[in-house]
Amino acid sequence: MSKIKDDTSSIWTSLAKKGVSRRDFIKFCSTMAATLALPSSFVPRIVEALEKKQRPYAVWLEFQDCAGDSESMLRATKPTIAEVVLDVISLEYHETIMAGSGKSAEKALQDVVKNQKGKYIAIVEGAIPTKDGGIYCTIGGKTALDIAKEVCGNAAMSLAVGSCASWGGIASAKPNPTGAVGVGAAVPGITYVNLPGCPMNVENVTATVVHYLTFGSLPALDGEHRPLFAHGKIIHNNCERRAHFDAGQFVRKWGDEGHRLGWCLYEMGCKGPEAHFNCPTIRWNGGTSWPVQAGHPCFACASTNNWDAFGPIYSRLENVPGAGYQTTADKIGATVAAVAAAGVAAHAVIRAAKGTPHKEEKE
Amino acid sequence: MAKIAIDPITRIEGHLRIEAQVEGGKVTDAWSSGTMWRGIEIILKGRDPRECWALTSRI
Repeated sequence: MSKIKDDTSSIWTSLAKKGVSRRDFIKFCSTMAATLALPSSFVPRIVEALEKKQRPYAVWLEFQDCAGDSESMLRATKPTIAEVVLDVISLEYHETIMAGSGKSAEKALQDVVKNQKGKYIAIVEGAIPTKDGGIYCTIGGKTALDIAKEVCGNAAMSLAVGSCASWGGIASAKPNPTGAVGVGAAVPGITYVNLPGCPMNVENVTATVVHYLTFGSLPALDGEHRPLFAHGKIIHNNCERRAHFDAGQFVRKWGDEGHRLGWCLYEMGCKGPEAHFNCPTIRWNGGTSWPVQAGHPCFACASTNNWDAFGPIYSRLENVPGAGYQTTADKIGATVAAVAAAGVAAHAVIRAAKGTPHKEEKE
Repeated sequence: MAKIAIDPITRIEGHLRIEAQVEGGKVTDAWSSGTMWRGIEIILKGRDPRECWALTSRI
């Protein structure tokens, strides 16, 4: 972690010092433009911003968390993300990875809050308990609620990373024993972005910071305060298993033939049809994989109240909407399969004698 | 007789506070406190047992 007063280098300069090549830097800027769903003509603007701008100071607060979002950041395999996120921002306080403890840790936090008032980024991981005076999470004798009010209240913007900081996450699952809420609810009136996910995806977090540095504003947000570039599309519509849904090919038992063949996980409880997230395109661990690719149904980790709002994670969603009417996936799948079969049969008709479309076998 | 408190303890996952009683340069007694609680045990009650791994793995 850098010293507060000596650091005046731009983001690009500090990356170059670390040995990041110009080529990798441009690649990083292109990745960020793509993540932000911007055309490639915006790459030069991102490059220019990161060449000129100094690294904004940032503090990382942990409240009712499991450090999973910290892990998600630190374990990112693409060097251009894991290293860059620590170089794009100047991280002055992070309990899990900082050297100082006790009073010296407290001082590092206070220095940023006082000396960089209104200029730093507050990154928050974990929910904030509000019940019983907030006693269910204290650090240095202060409640998480008081710390959030002070640190987020004086920041240029706050990033709620992970589902807990966004809307309460696991801590707020029924019956929410500690009155856990997200940052936006705990500190009303602040400028903030929710970057939920369990854990959050570091590429989306970095892209949000890059957007802020390049355009001086937050990216467009949805009704849940999440960036539209990351949460504007339904998982189901971008899922690599979607063709199997449309063909009525479903996994019905763990390890069955369909599961081994990578068929649709809808019957096993997949919440993809109702979850908005860019995991099918961005994936995790440097683009290696994501839950559905690995053979597990999506449980809508980035959707508000996912632990209670969608039913148990292995229970099938009812009434998945399709083609403008309410139906079940079985029906949609069967209909689409029948139509496809009709097409195949019609094609055959041209070459041979007249025939009728046969009923498609589903499995 | 002095009592010192170190809070937060860093480089660990979770929130920890250590208090120590010091007499003549020696620690004579010490107390540790976990200063965060979510009530995961309470949240697990009544849930589909098949999904409990997803919650407990996030402690």
